[in-house]
Amino acid sequence: MRDFLQYVEMDSFLHRLDPRTKFAFFIMMSVLTSFIKSGVALLFLLAVFMVIWQVSHIGKYMITLLSKIKALLLFIILLWLALGLFTVNIGPAIYRTSFQLFGTPRQFSLDWFDLYKGLVFALRIFLMISAFYTVILSTNFSQIILGLRSWKVPYPISFGIGLVFQIIPMIISEFATIMEAQSSRGLEIEKCSALTKMKNYIIISLPLMFRVLSKGQAISLAMHHYKLDFKVKRTSYKSIRSSWMDGVFSAVFIAATVTTVVLHYRFNIPLS
Amino acid sequence: MSFAVKNITYQYTPEGKPILSDLSFEIREAEVTAIVGPSGSGKSTLVNILSGVIPELLSQGVYSGSFDVEKGVSISVVTQAPENQLFGYGVEDAIAFGIENIGLDEEELSERMEYVLDLLNIQHLRKRSVATLSGGQRQAVCIASVLAMRPDILIMDEPVSSLDPNGKKMIQSVLNMLRASGQTTVIVDNNLDWFSDIVDHVIGMVDGKVVFDGEKETFFRDFQIQKKLGVTIPQAAEIYRELSRKIPDLEMFYTPEDAKMEIAMRIKSLEPPALQREPESEDEGFLSVTGLTKTFADGFRALIEVDAAFQPGKVVAILGQNGSGKTTFVKHLNGLLRPTQGTVAYQGLETTKKSVAQISRDIILVFQHPEHMIFEETVYAELTFCARAQGVPFSEEEALKTLEQYQLLEDKEELPANLSMGKKHILTILSVLFSSAEVVILDEPTLGMDLHLKDKLVDIIQALKNRGKTVIVISHEIPLVFDIADQLLILDEGRKLVQGAKGNVAARQDIFEQINIDLPPVVALSKYFNLPRVCFDVESFVEEVAANLA
Repeated sequence: MRDFLQYVEMDSFLHRLDPRTKFAFFIMMSVLTSFIKSGVALLFLLAVFMVIWQVSHIGKYMITLLSKIKALLLFIILLWLALGLFTVNIGPAIYRTSFQLFGTPRQFSLDWFDLYKGLVFALRIFLMISAFYTVILSTNFSQIILGLRSWKVPYPISFGIGLVFQIIPMIISEFATIMEAQSSRGLEIEKCSALTKMKNYIIISLPLMFRVLSKGQAISLAMHHYKLDFKVKRTSYKSIRSSWMDGVFSAVFIAATVTTVVLHYRFNIPLS
Repeated sequence: MSFAVKNITYQYTPEGKPILSDLSFEIREAEVTAIVGPSGSGKSTLVNILSGVIPELLSQGVYSGSFDVEKGVSISVVTQAPENQLFGYGVEDAIAFGIENIGLDEEELSERMEYVLDLLNIQHLRKRSVATLSGGQRQAVCIASVLAMRPDILIMDEPVSSLDPNGKKMIQSVLNMLRASGQTTVIVDNNLDWFSDIVDHVIGMVDGKVVFDGEKETFFRDFQIQKKLGVTIPQAAEIYRELSRKIPDLEMFYTPEDAKMEIAMRIKSLEPPALQREPESEDEGFLSVTGLTKTFADGFRALIEVDAAFQPGKVVAILGQNGSGKTTFVKHLNGLLRPTQGTVAYQGLETTKKSVAQISRDIILVFQHPEHMIFEETVYAELTFCARAQGVPFSEEEALKTLEQYQLLEDKEELPANLSMGKKHILTILSVLFSSAEVVILDEPTLGMDLHLKDKLVDIIQALKNRGKTVIVISHEIPLVFDIADQLLILDEGRKLVQGAKGNVAARQDIFEQINIDLPPVVALSKYFNLPRVCFDVESFVEEVAANLA
């Protein structure tokens, strides 16, 4: 999927919002997911996110995101299960047994609490990533620059951030084309062992590096042709204005934030 | 007023050989100047000097001489790849980028935006995103973005090299508007075919030296310099070159319209010949496509029930505008894409269950940009890559002979990435000579090639054909396609319009009108003058005309 992790052109509620509102949403959600550890609160936040995705018709992109990071989420859950195997927690167990190791009695305990911990951490990671993706998917790089500029972020930094989001799709597309070109010449990347596949992916990295370098050079020449000079005060053809939709969205996410915090304190289960 | 290049010499390193040597010429105000020369003649370095990249950005080279322009003279560049040049998601964002950089006030920004959108007639594109534009539209936006900065000199570096015939026509009309508005323009391109009408003044360079500096008409009369520079000239000018050898008092022409007038005065009136049909192959071919339909995830139908057959030892050209489904079609032949409906069969067996690498042993696809393909450390290793990947035996002697034949022997230990674009392309195409594939697909194989390299490409295609291999070519170079192909397959909006012997397809004027592609001048003129046979190359056309002089 070549349009993964990039802006998708649509005319949705989210797309029509002021980029600054979306930045504020992202910052608030990043802070929230960093300290909220209550499963109930996180599930509530997930429900809010799902409503936003549904209203903006971007649910299918989030399903794609979930499928791309499912291995990471599964790893997080398994990691917490493994870390908790030799600790007996309060609460019901999924499976528990005792054994002797070098003459010392040991307990092997697969607890529901460890599974809960794993799920909470996986959910936090997913919400963090999806908050970022929600903004990226609905804000093009020109709007990102404009939004950052209106927050008085220096132009070199705003431009640099915008440029990253302009270049990422190019690199993804180049990588896919190089894979196609090399397999067309006989490089096996489908029906081969994992080791051969890995070796062949390394082979592909060389032309990718050349292409990225050549694109980087072309872009820096273009900056020169357009007389980009960070010492000169720039003006702006476009300006951004907030609308009633930004007010509605802000009210919803503030209410959601307050509710999440309340739920966190009411249903908190300490994780350590 | 003119802008003078005076005695410029440049070398990238103090020890290296000069890329430009004592270069002097003038760029005339309000005229269109063409800078032409073979690959490696120093054209790109010259563009970097004219635009100030050297020495402002690249300052480590050794530079002497001067480019004399008055203080405040502004120079802007349009490159061959607008996707690397445009900064901004939307068309307005991209156009505004340059004028925002020079700090114009809001009123001036709006005024310039409207001016360029009107000048280039692209008001209808202003709310579109750059990513959704066609190649020609994207290049027009790129031109608008630099024109908004009101440059005194506009330099265009191979601006149509990746465009289809519609895109070329759009840029031609933009250039005509600029010429009429008095814009000083420099076009750096070794393919004069598409802008011969627009250019006033030609500068020819070989090995960093100016070998021609004069008017367009003088250039078109000087056959030796055209050959030396490896310039692709309009086919009508080629006809003049060959015909003037047989008719000494022939007046100069370089457009099909002028050719019609000049030849009409000398040729006898001929009755339309009896309809001749070339015999079509009856068999299904060893590579066959049946009912091929491709619908992408977003619902776009790129191919709709396409049937096609390919026979051994034939060169088949696929024609159509960008978006007609050409690349999608060939990607099904080598398995990069799988059909939504229909089948692709090689020697009677469906290819569906094979990997792309397995299919490449029979059907190999050479991509448009050689940089997507090359990755070996030496030219020799790159040449033999396919053979090694597919386990095909080859001898070192044979590989070295091939490198020698195509003037790559002295580069055999060179990093392929350091070769010129044209040479890189030849190298990736040569590597398929060492593969086991019986079907070779070339996607835009002339990209970055001067005329000398194009001649080599024709040799390679002929060599493949002589070995009984099928060559499938996608190219926007219509005269070249008609010269080398045995058959044409025409696609339009995902549907096959026709496949057949090129003589039979060339007779279908309606189809070429539908796809908005002009027949090559030799074909159009053969029909216009009712020549006994339709000619597909300049030599046979000139023979026919000479045989029917009044």
